[in-house]
Amino acid sequence: MRNLNLFTKKTGFQLVAILILLSSCKKLQEEPKSVITPNNFYTTTTQIQSAYTASMSLLWSRNQGYSAYMDDFNQDDQIVRGDLNISENYGAELWAAHYSALLNINTAIKALKKGLVGVDQGQIDDLMGQGKFLRAFNYFMLVRIFGGVPLITEDTPDPVNVKMARSTVQQVYDQIISDFTDAIAKLPVTRSADMRGLPTRDAAKGLLAKAYLTMATFPLNKPENYAKAAEMAGEVIDSANYSLVPDISTLFSVANQYGPEMMWSFNSNAQNQGPDPRIWSDMRGFGDICAEPTWEQAYPKQPRKDAFIETTLNGVLYYDLGDYWPGVKKFQYDAPADFAAGRSVVSMPIIRFADVLLIFAEADNMAKGAPSQKAVDAINRVIDRANGHVINSEDPLATTSMTMAEFDNKVIMERDYELCFEIDRWFDLIRKHILKQESLPDYQINFSDNDYLWPIPTNDIQVDPLLTQNPGY
Amino acid sequence: MQHFTHPPLKNGILKWKVITSILLVVIPILLFAQTKPISGIVKDENGNGVPYVTVTLKDGSLATRTDSAGRFSISAAPGSVLVLSAVSYEKSQLTVGSKSQYVITLKSLTSQLGEVLVIGYGTQKKSDLTGSVSRVKGEDLKLLPTQRVDQALQGRAPGVSVQNTDGSPGGNTVIRIRGSNSINGDNSALIVIDGLQGGNLNSLNPNDISSIEILKDASATAIYGSQGANGVILVTTKLGKQGKAVINYTFDGSVANLNNKPKLLNAADYAREINKVRLAQNGNGAQPQPIFSDAEIAAFQQNGGTDWVDQVYRPAYTQNHQLSVSGGSEKVSYLLSGAYLNQEGILINSAYDRYSIRGNFRAEIAKWVSFGANLSTSKEKSNSALFGGSINYPANPVIAAPRFSPTIPVYDSVGNYSAAALRYANPTLWNPVASAKEPIINNGTIHNNINAYLEFKLLEGLTLKITGGAILTNIDDYSFYNNKTFTGLAKNGSGNIFADNNTYFQNSNILTYDKTINKSHFTITAVAEQKYTKDFNSTINASDFAVQQTGVFDVGGANTVTTASSSSERVINSYLGRINYIFDNKYLFTASIRADGSSVFGSDNKWGYFPSGSVAWRASEEHFIKDLHIFSDLKFRVSYGVTGNQAINPYQTLAHISSGFNYPYDGTDVSNLGYSITSTANPKLKWEKTAQTDAGLDMSIFNGRLEFTFDYYNKLTTDLLLPRVLPSYSGLSSILDNVGSIRNRGIEFSISGNPFVGKFSWNTGLTFSANRAKVIDLGGVDRIGFASGGFGGQSVNSVFMYLVKGQPYGEMIGYGYKGVWKTSEAADAAKYGQLPGDPHYDDLNGDGIINSKDEKVIGNSTPKFIFGWTNKFTYSNFDLSFLIQGSKGNSIFDISRIALESPGGTSADLLNRWSPSNQNSSIPAIIDQATRAASGLVSTVKIPGSSANRTSRWVEDGSYARLKNITLGYNLPAAISQRFHVNNLRVYVSATNLITITKYKGSDPEVSSYTGNDAQFGSDFGTYPQSKIFNVGLNVSL
Repeated sequence: MRNLNLFTKKTGFQLVAILILLSSCKKLQEEPKSVITPNNFYTTTTQIQSAYTASMSLLWSRNQGYSAYMDDFNQDDQIVRGDLNISENYGAELWAAHYSALLNINTAIKALKKGLVGVDQGQIDDLMGQGKFLRAFNYFMLVRIFGGVPLITEDTPDPVNVKMARSTVQQVYDQIISDFTDAIAKLPVTRSADMRGLPTRDAAKGLLAKAYLTMATFPLNKPENYAKAAEMAGEVIDSANYSLVPDISTLFSVANQYGPEMMWSFNSNAQNQGPDPRIWSDMRGFGDICAEPTWEQAYPKQPRKDAFIETTLNGVLYYDLGDYWPGVKKFQYDAPADFAAGRSVVSMPIIRFADVLLIFAEADNMAKGAPSQKAVDAINRVIDRANGHVINSEDPLATTSMTMAEFDNKVIMERDYELCFEIDRWFDLIRKHILKQESLPDYQINFSDNDYLWPIPTNDIQVDPLLTQNPGY
Repeated sequence: MQHFTHPPLKNGILKWKVITSILLVVIPILLFAQTKPISGIVKDENGNGVPYVTVTLKDGSLATRTDSAGRFSISAAPGSVLVLSAVSYEKSQLTVGSKSQYVITLKSLTSQLGEVLVIGYGTQKKSDLTGSVSRVKGEDLKLLPTQRVDQALQGRAPGVSVQNTDGSPGGNTVIRIRGSNSINGDNSALIVIDGLQGGNLNSLNPNDISSIEILKDASATAIYGSQGANGVILVTTKLGKQGKAVINYTFDGSVANLNNKPKLLNAADYAREINKVRLAQNGNGAQPQPIFSDAEIAAFQQNGGTDWVDQVYRPAYTQNHQLSVSGGSEKVSYLLSGAYLNQEGILINSAYDRYSIRGNFRAEIAKWVSFGANLSTSKEKSNSALFGGSINYPANPVIAAPRFSPTIPVYDSVGNYSAAALRYANPTLWNPVASAKEPIINNGTIHNNINAYLEFKLLEGLTLKITGGAILTNIDDYSFYNNKTFTGLAKNGSGNIFADNNTYFQNSNILTYDKTINKSHFTITAVAEQKYTKDFNSTINASDFAVQQTGVFDVGGANTVTTASSSSERVINSYLGRINYIFDNKYLFTASIRADGSSVFGSDNKWGYFPSGSVAWRASEEHFIKDLHIFSDLKFRVSYGVTGNQAINPYQTLAHISSGFNYPYDGTDVSNLGYSITSTANPKLKWEKTAQTDAGLDMSIFNGRLEFTFDYYNKLTTDLLLPRVLPSYSGLSSILDNVGSIRNRGIEFSISGNPFVGKFSWNTGLTFSANRAKVIDLGGVDRIGFASGGFGGQSVNSVFMYLVKGQPYGEMIGYGYKGVWKTSEAADAAKYGQLPGDPHYDDLNGDGIINSKDEKVIGNSTPKFIFGWTNKFTYSNFDLSFLIQGSKGNSIFDISRIALESPGGTSADLLNRWSPSNQNSSIPAIIDQATRAASGLVSTVKIPGSSANRTSRWVEDGSYARLKNITLGYNLPAAISQRFHVNNLRVYVSATNLITITKYKGSDPEVSSYTGNDAQFGSDFGTYPQSKIFNVGLNVSL
C-alpha cells in the first residue's frame, strides 16, 4: 500500500489536465476501408466493364428489372391475367432500373472519354462501343414504354437541385440512332467464346433496324424509316454472321444460348438466374407468366407450338384441370432436374436472327409497297422452321402475290407466334396501333387510347415539376 | 446469529441429507421449542414511542401490538425473528437473542425520499430530481421468475412500452420510451450498464441487478446528447454489502405450451371444403369431379387426419440456475455470480441457451482513491427454424403448419416427408415438420463487458472518476438447409456462415463538485468522453453441395460459394457539463449541455450541441403545505431540452459504389463482378433532433402510503433522416436527408400505495401511458409506405402500412370490407357485378366502381394507451404477486388468417361460410363459375390482384388485458431455516400468460411480424407464437 503514495493530490490534478487533453485522440473524419467512392473508380478496363455488368444486372437478375417485372407486359394478348387497367405508377420499377443502368453507363462513358492509362485505343473503342450500345438499348426500351423521357448523357445533373423536362420522342430516337451508329462503327464483328455475351456489330445493326422500324410506325409514324430499317436488317442477313437454329425444339437449349441465332440477350447462368423458372412452368398462376388460353387456342398447330407452349400437366390438358393455364415451354429447355429445383438458366432474347428476318420482311414490304422476293424469303425461313420444314396449312408460307397489307398482317402474326413471351408483342401492339383490336374482349372494357403509354412514375412527377405526365394518369 | 454453535458451513451442508430426512419430525418440535417472554419499546427517529406497531413472529405464529407508549411484550424463542411493521414506517426485523428487553428504532417511510437514484454520470437524491426518472428495483424483478431483464420491465414504469413481438426462446422484445421518434433511425432507448453505454439487456442475469433507472424527459436524457432522444435505461448491478458473505442460489424450472392453438378443420371437413372448391370450377361447360370420394371422406371421419399444429409444437422445458456470492468489508465489496439458462422453444428444434458470469469489485485503496471493476461475460446460443413475415412463406413452419392439408400424413409410404397435395392445395407449401426439423441453425453471441474505474477525492466535495470500458461482441451464426427443405432443394443444399467482431471502447472522465453554502447546494458535473466502435464482419454463402452430410461445416463441398465482408468505424468525442442548484430544499434548478462530435455526421456538421434546463418546486417544504399534514412530498417539475438520435450509419454521408451487381456480361458460367453507383454524397447530414417539454408532478401522501407521479410531455422530432426522394431518372431513388418531423405527445402516471401493512400487506402500483404520435412532415412527400405484407401469396404484397403527413403514426390503408352481400341486397350487389355471397366492399366515393379511389384508413397500429398493474400481497410467510398489463386501441392486420379463410383453406371458421341459409357470415360464399356466368354480371370491383386482401376484413382490434404473471411464494420461517444455516429459503409457483382477454382472433395480440421499422408494426404473419408457461422455483440464501 506504500506505493500508493505515488498518487499525491498534485498528480491527481495533473491527471485531470492530461485526460481532457488526451480526449478525442480519434479523428472525426471518415476514412472508409470497405467502401468505394466514385472518385477512385473507373480507372481500368475491368472497372469500366463492371459498370456495364451492373447496368445489365439491374435489368436482369432475380427479383430485379425485367426478370421480376416482365408480367407488367401482361396487358398484351399473350400473357394471362392482364386487364388494360393500367394504374398509376405502373412500370415504375422498370423506369428506375433503366435509369440506374444509365447512371452507370454514362459515368463509364465519361471516364472513357478522359482515357484509361495504359490501355490501347482498340480496347477503348470496343468499351466505348459497348457503352453507346447499352445506352441506346436503354433509351430504346424507355421511349417505347413511356414516350419522350428525360435524356441524360454523360453528366447526371445534381439530383437534388436540378430539374429536368422530358425530351421529345424524336429527340430520344436521335440519341438512339447516334449511339447505335457509333456502336456499329466501334464494336467487333465477332466475339471469342469467352466473351460471347458481349454485343457485336450485327447486334447493334439489328437493334438499330428495330429502332428505325419503330420510328416508321406509331407514335412517330415516319415511313421514310422503313427503308433504313430494311437496309440495316438486310446487312445483318447478308453478312450471314448469324443464322437460324434449324430445329425449333433446340432453339432455347443451353447449347444455343449464345448463337448461332441469339445475337444479344439478357443472360443467365447458374450464378445469375433470371426469374424463378416456376414462372414458366407453374400452370396455376403462382408464377406470373402463363399463356392466355384464347391465344394458345389460336396458335397454329406446328412443331413450334409444341416447342414453345406447354398445354398438359402430368399428361392432362390444362383445361381439364380446372384453374390451370398453358405454360411457357420455350424457357424450360434446361436440364429437367435443375429446372424443377428452380435453378434453371434461361436467357431472355433481346435481338435474335429470326427477329431480324421479320424486321426485314416487314420493313422491306412497307418501304416498297409490296412483298419482294427477298422479304418473302426472309419470313419463309422463319415459317418453314416453325413448321418443321414441311408444308403446313395452319401456318402457310408467304408469297409475293400477297398484297402489302396481307403480307404485313402475316409478318405481325408471325412475330406474335415466333417471339412470344420475349417482351416483344406489347411493342408490336403499340407501334402498329392495334392494342384495342387485338385485345381480348375482357380487356377492351378498360381500353383507352391512353394505354399506349405507361405513366411516368408518380415519384418523379411529384419531385420534378418540369416533368409532364402522360395523358390519362 | 452468534448463538449458533454448529460447525462451519461446509459440514452444515453435508448434514443436509440427514436433516431433511427428519424434517417432518423436527418441525413440530421446533415450533414448540422453548420460548420465553420478552418485552421491548419501539421508537421513532426522534426517540418518541410509536404506538400501534404490529409485532409478529416471522413464522406468523404470534402477533401483538405496541401500546400508546410504544411498548410491547411477546413470547419468543431465542433465534426467532420478530417483524415490526407500522403505517408510514419502514418494516424492521429483530432477531431474539439472550436478552429479554429490546429497544427498536423504526425509520420513517418519508425518508424514502432520501433514496438515491442513478442518473447520467452521477447519482441524485430522489427529492432533488428535477426531471422525469422512473426506477425499477432489483428486488421487484426478483419476485417474478424472470429470465430476461427487458421482459421484466413490462408494465412497471409509466411511459415505457415493452412488447414481446414474438414468442421464440431468446426472442425479440421492443422497448419504447414515450413513443417512436424516428422513422428510419433506431427507436430503442440507450442502454447504459454500470456507466458503459450501448449494453445489451438480454445478456444480463436479472439477479445481478440492483436497480434500473429509466430517464425519460430531456432534463434527464440531454446529458446523453446525440444518443439520448429515445430515453435512457440505466442498469446498475449489485455489489456485496458489508458483513458476512451471502451465497444465493436460485432455481427456476418451467414448462411452456402453445398458448392459443388455431381452430382448424378436421380432415373430413377439409376434404369437403376442397370438393366444394373443385365443383365450383364448372365454367365453360366443364363438369369437374370431386377430389375426394364419399368413402375417403368417411375414412377421414373415422381415422382423423394429421394435426400439423400438434406436429410442429411441443411442451417446452426450461431450466434456469443462478448462483451468486457477495460480501464485503469496510473497504472492499464484491459480487461474483454465474447463471445458466437452458430454454426449449415450443416449436420443435428451437432453443436458447445462455451462460453468464459476472464479477463486480470495489475497493478503497487510500482515503482519497478507490477503484472498482465490473466484468461480465455471456454466451448466448439460439436456434429456431426461421419464422416471421419476411421469410418465404412456404418454408415457414409457423405459416405452413395450420395451412397444410390435414388429409396428408407427415411422412409418405416410403418414409420421406410428404409433399403438398398437387391437385388441391398450394403446391409450393412445404412440409412444416421438415421446415422446422431439418435446418441446422445456430445463432451464437458472446458479449464481454469490461469496465473499470478509479475514483479520486481531490478536495472536499471534488471527485474525479476515470472510467475505461469495453464491450467486445462476437457473433457467430451459421445455418444449413439440406435438400429436404424448401430453401435447400432449390439450391441443392444451402449454407450460410456469418461472423461479426464488434469492439467498443469508452473512456469517460467525470469531475464532480458538490458544495453547500448556507441554504444553497450545488452539484457541478463536467465530463470529457470518447467512444470508438469498430465492426468487421464476413459472410459466406454456399450452395449446390456435392456433400450434404457435412454441409456448412465443410463448404469445400459446395460448388457455389460467395463471400462478402465489410468493416466500419465510428468515433464520438464529447464534452458535457451539468449544474444542479438547490435553494432551501425548495427550489431546484438543473441545466446541462453536451457537445457531441461524431464521425458519422456529414463533414459540414461534425458537432452537435444538446442543451437542457429544468426547474422544480418542492411545495411540500413550504410551511403552508407542511401545516396541512397531508403531503410528505409535493413537487412540481418543468423541463425542456434537446436530444439527438444518431440514426446515421458510418459512411452514409459519402457517395457509394457498391459491389454485388454481378451478371454474366461476358456470357460465361462465371458472372462478371458488377459495381453500381448506389448513393450520392450528402455532407450536410446530421443527427435527428428531439426537443422535449415535460411538466410533471410528484406527490406522496399519508406518510408515503400513497404515491402519485404524473407527467405530460410534448416531443417534437425534426431533421428526421428520411430518404429525400430523388427523381428516379437520376438513377438513384433517394438521398438521405434531414427532412421529416414527428410529434409525440402524451401523459403518463403511476399510482402506488400500500393499502395494508402489517401481517397482511398489500402493495400495489398502476402505471398508465397514453401517447399520441403524429406525422408532421415527410419532406416533400405526402405519405411513405412500409412493406409489411408478407412474401408473396397473400395478395397483400402491396404496401398497407403508411406514414401520412398530418395523420397519426402507423396508419393502415386499404379497402373497407363490409361483409358479404346478403340475398336481400342482391340488387345493390348487382350494381357492382356481384352476387349475394360475394364480398361487399366499401364504395367510398359512390361511383359504382371499387378501385384505388376507395382506399381509406382501415386501422392504426399504435395503441391509445397501455397500462400495467402490479400487486404484491404478503400474509405471514406467503407472498402473492401478479401483474396485469395490456394495451388498448391498436389494430392488427392479421395476414396469417388470409390463406386459412380463403376457399380451400383450413380454418374452422369456414364451416360458418355464407350461404343463403347463413346470411350473417362475413366469409364470402364459393360461387360456382356456371352460376356466375349465368348471372351475366360484369364485376366493377377493380382491386388489383396484388391488393386483393388489403382490406379491413383482416384488420382486428388488438386491444388486450392479460394476467402476464402470477406468482405464489412461500418463505420458510426464519426460525426454521436458520437452523439449517439458511438465511432465507423461498419456494414459488408461477404462471405466465395465464389469462388473456382480447377480441383478437390470431394467436396472440402482443405481436408484430415486422419490426425492422416502427412504421411497419402491427401485422401478424407467421410469427413464433407466445406460450403459456408454468414455473416452479426455489431461492436459497446462505
